[in-house]
Amino acid sequence: MPDRDGRRVVVTGLGAVSSLGIGARQFIAALRAGRSGIGPIGQFDATGFEHVLAGEVRDFTPSAHLHRVSPEEWGRSSQFAAAAARMAVEDAGVGEQTLSSVRTASCFGTTNGESQVLEDLGEQWVSQGPDRLDARLIGQVDAGRISAAVNVELGLSGEALTLGTACAAGNYSVGYAYDLIRSGEVDLALCGGADASNRHTHAGFHRLGALAADVPRPFDEHRDGIVTAEGGAALLLEPLEAALERGARIYAEVLGYGMSCDAHHMTNPHAPSIAECIRRAHRNAGIKPEDVDYICAHGTGTEANDSTEIAAVRDAFDGRVPPISSIKSALGHTMGAAAAFGALVSCAALHEGFLPASTTVRTVDPALGPDVDCVPRTSRAQRPRVVENHGFAFGGNNAVTIFGDIAA
Amino acid sequence: MSAVSTTSRPTVSRTAAAPAPPPVTPVDVVGCTVFSTAGQGLDPIADALLRGTAAEGGPAGEAAAGDYPPGLDVRSVPGFSPADTLGRKGLGRLTRTDQLVSVACSLALGELPEQAAQTEPADTGIVLGTSVGSTGRVGEFIRDTFVQELPYFVNPSHFPGILMNSAAGRAAIRLGLTGVNSTVSGGPLAGLHALRFARTALLAGHARRLLTGAFEELSAQRAWAWHRSGGTAAGVPLGEGGAVFVLQAPDEHAEGPRPLARLLACDVGFADPADGLPGVSRRLADCVRTALVRSEIAPEDVAVAAPGASGRRGWARVEEAALREVFSPAQGPRRLAVQQVLGETDSANGALQLAAVLARWQDGRQDTGRERAAVITSVGPDGSVGCAVVARPSGAPSPRR
Repeated sequence: MPDRDGRRVVVTGLGAVSSLGIGARQFIAALRAGRSGIGPIGQFDATGFEHVLAGEVRDFTPSAHLHRVSPEEWGRSSQFAAAAARMAVEDAGVGEQTLSSVRTASCFGTTNGESQVLEDLGEQWVSQGPDRLDARLIGQVDAGRISAAVNVELGLSGEALTLGTACAAGNYSVGYAYDLIRSGEVDLALCGGADASNRHTHAGFHRLGALAADVPRPFDEHRDGIVTAEGGAALLLEPLEAALERGARIYAEVLGYGMSCDAHHMTNPHAPSIAECIRRAHRNAGIKPEDVDYICAHGTGTEANDSTEIAAVRDAFDGRVPPISSIKSALGHTMGAAAAFGALVSCAALHEGFLPASTTVRTVDPALGPDVDCVPRTSRAQRPRVVENHGFAFGGNNAVTIFGDIAA
Repeated sequence: MSAVSTTSRPTVSRTAAAPAPPPVTPVDVVGCTVFSTAGQGLDPIADALLRGTAAEGGPAGEAAAGDYPPGLDVRSVPGFSPADTLGRKGLGRLTRTDQLVSVACSLALGELPEQAAQTEPADTGIVLGTSVGSTGRVGEFIRDTFVQELPYFVNPSHFPGILMNSAAGRAAIRLGLTGVNSTVSGGPLAGLHALRFARTALLAGHARRLLTGAFEELSAQRAWAWHRSGGTAAGVPLGEGGAVFVLQAPDEHAEGPRPLARLLACDVGFADPADGLPGVSRRLADCVRTALVRSEIAPEDVAVAAPGASGRRGWARVEEAALREVFSPAQGPRRLAVQQVLGETDSANGALQLAAVLARWQDGRQDTGRERAAVITSVGPDGSVGCAVVARPSGAPSPRR
C-alpha cells in the first residue's frame, strides 16, 4: 500500500556535463541566453552520413572533473555520470564525511549505456576478428557501470542502480531516488542520466528518417526530426529535514512522479498512455492539473512526438495546455540524459524564476492548437511554482516527474 | 593530462556503517516461469541440481558452432520454441532475449490461477534486469554500420531491439500491460536490482503486480567476450535463460493462491574493488547481515544460500568469504551450485538462483520440509554486491513429487 506519510524530498545539488557548458550554472546560463549546443559530429567518423550534426560535449577533460574515475578504465557515459554527480555534490556542499556516513544510493538512466565501448569492440570485430577483442574494453561494456562510476568517484557504499528505460530513464532515476528517500530507505541519493554520442544510435535514427535537416525545431510547423546528442546530468536529493538542518540551498521539492507503458508500439508514442502517465504523476504528487505552471516537454522535434505530446497534455489537463517548451531545441536529444536535463532545468526554473525557450521554433505549428504557448525563441522571466517534466521512450516507457517551489 | 592511476588514487575513509533501515514489508512471489539450460520450468532445474549437471549443450538457434570460440562450453535453452507461444509472424524482428521474455511473461500470467488473474492491466507491469540487452542484436547492428555500403544502411526494424528495454516493451505490447515497465542494468546484480526495484514500486503503490526477472541470451558476441576476457570459472559452461516471477504486494492475494515464497529484504551495496577484494567481501557480508535483520530472520534460520559469483573466475572466494563471515562455517546454509549446473548467465544469474531455491523447495525427493528461509547473493566485478532474503510461506504447497 502506498505510504503517503513519507518524508519530503528536496533537490539541493545540480551537476551537468553538456554541450552548453560544464557545470549546472554554465549550462543554465547558456540555455537562458538561447545558445545552441549543436555542431559538427566529432565523437565518431561521420563519413557517409547525410546528417552530420550532433549535440556533443566538446570541452570535457575528464581529469579536470574526476578524482578517482580514470578515463582508461571507464567509458564516456560513466565519466559523464561521475563528473556530473561530483559537481552536484560540490554544488550541494555535502562533504566526504557525510557521503561516507549516511545511507546513499546512486541511480542513473541511460539509453545506450557504454555505446562507444561497444562500438570500439564492434570495429575490432570487423577489422581484426573476434579473437582480437580487447579484454580491457570488454570489462567496460556493462551499462550498470554508469552508476557504479558515481559510487567509485564519490566513495559511496550504497546501491548503484542503472535504469535502462531509454529516453525516459532520467525521470525513472529521479523517481526511484525519490521513493528511496521518501520511504526512509536512504538519506541521500544522486540521480540523473548519461549517454555518449555514437555511430549506431545516429545510424538508427538516420535510417528511420528521424534526423532533422539541421537543428531540431520542437513545436514548429516544419519540424523534421531530432538531432542526436550526449551529456550527463545529476541531481542530489535528500530529505527536506536534513537540508534544512544543514542550511542547504534548496532548488526545489520533488513532489512525486508517475510511470506508464504504452503497450502499443515500440517506436511510435501513444497519447492515451502518456495522458495516463501524467495523471498518475499528479495523483502521486498530490496535485491537480491546474497547479502546474509549466511543462518541460519531451519535445523531441519529430512530427509524431510533439503532436502526440500536446494531445496527451490536452487530455490530462482537461483541455488546457500550460506553457510547454523543449530544451532539446538547444541541446538536441541527449537520450538517457534527456529527462535528467529536463529535471535539472525544472529545478532551475523554480529556483531562478524563468521558463526556458523552444529556441529554434519559427512558426508554431497551428495544428497543435491556437493556445499552445511553447515559450518561443527566448526564455521568459516568470516564477513557476509547480513544474512538470516529461520523458518518453522507445519501448513505450513513459515517466513524468513533478517539482515544486519549496514554499509551494 | 593523465588521469589519476588506480594505485595512487586517494582512499576514502570509511566511518561506521549508518544505522540499518527498518524491517521490510514482505512481497509475495505468486508465480514463476523459468527457462534455463536444464529446460523449461522448475522441475528440470531440480533434476539438474540433484544430478549436478544440465545435460543439454550447444549453441542456440541457427548459429553454427563455428561462430563460437573453440573450446568454450556453451549451452542454450533446450527445446525453446518461441513460435508455439508467439506465432511465426514478426518473430525475426524479435531478439532472442525479446523471445525468451515475451514467452516467459505470457506463460507466467497465463498460469496464474483464475482468482489471482483479476488485477487490471494498468496495475500490472514488468521489471527486467539485463546487462546491455540483446548482445547478439547489438553486435550485428553495430557491425552493419561498418560493413554496409553506407553507415546508416542498418535494418530499421532491428533498431528498437538494440535498446536494453526492448524485451520489456515487447512483452508489454504482447500482453497489453500498461503498468510500470522498467528495465534495470547491472551485470550479475541485475536480477537483484530488478527484485529491489519491483519491491520498491509495489510498496510505493506504483503497481499491484509486477512480472519481475532477468534474462540473458547466448550469442557468439557474448561468448567471444567471455573467452577474450579470461572467462568463466573452470567447469562452468556459458549458459543462457532467465526467470520471471510474479510479485504482488501482500494484501493482493487475500482471495488468491498461496504464494510460492515471500520476498523479504533485498539490499544492495557497493565497494570499489580497487580498494581491495576483502573490502568487497566485507561489504557483501554487511549487506547479508542487514538484509537478515530487516527480514527478521536469524542467520541460523537460513537453510539455503544460492551464491551468484561461482561462474566468474576468481570471484567465488570473494562471495564465499562473505558467507563465512555471516554464517557459521560449520553449520552454515547449504550452498546451491547454480552456475556450475545451469551455466554462467550474467545478468540472469540472480533470477536463476531464486528459481533454483524455489525448485529445491518444491522437489519432494529432497528433505526440505524444515527449510524456512534462503539467501540469494550476487557480486559484480564493478563492486556491486547484494542479497535477497526469501522465506517459504508456512504451510507451503505440498511438494509436487
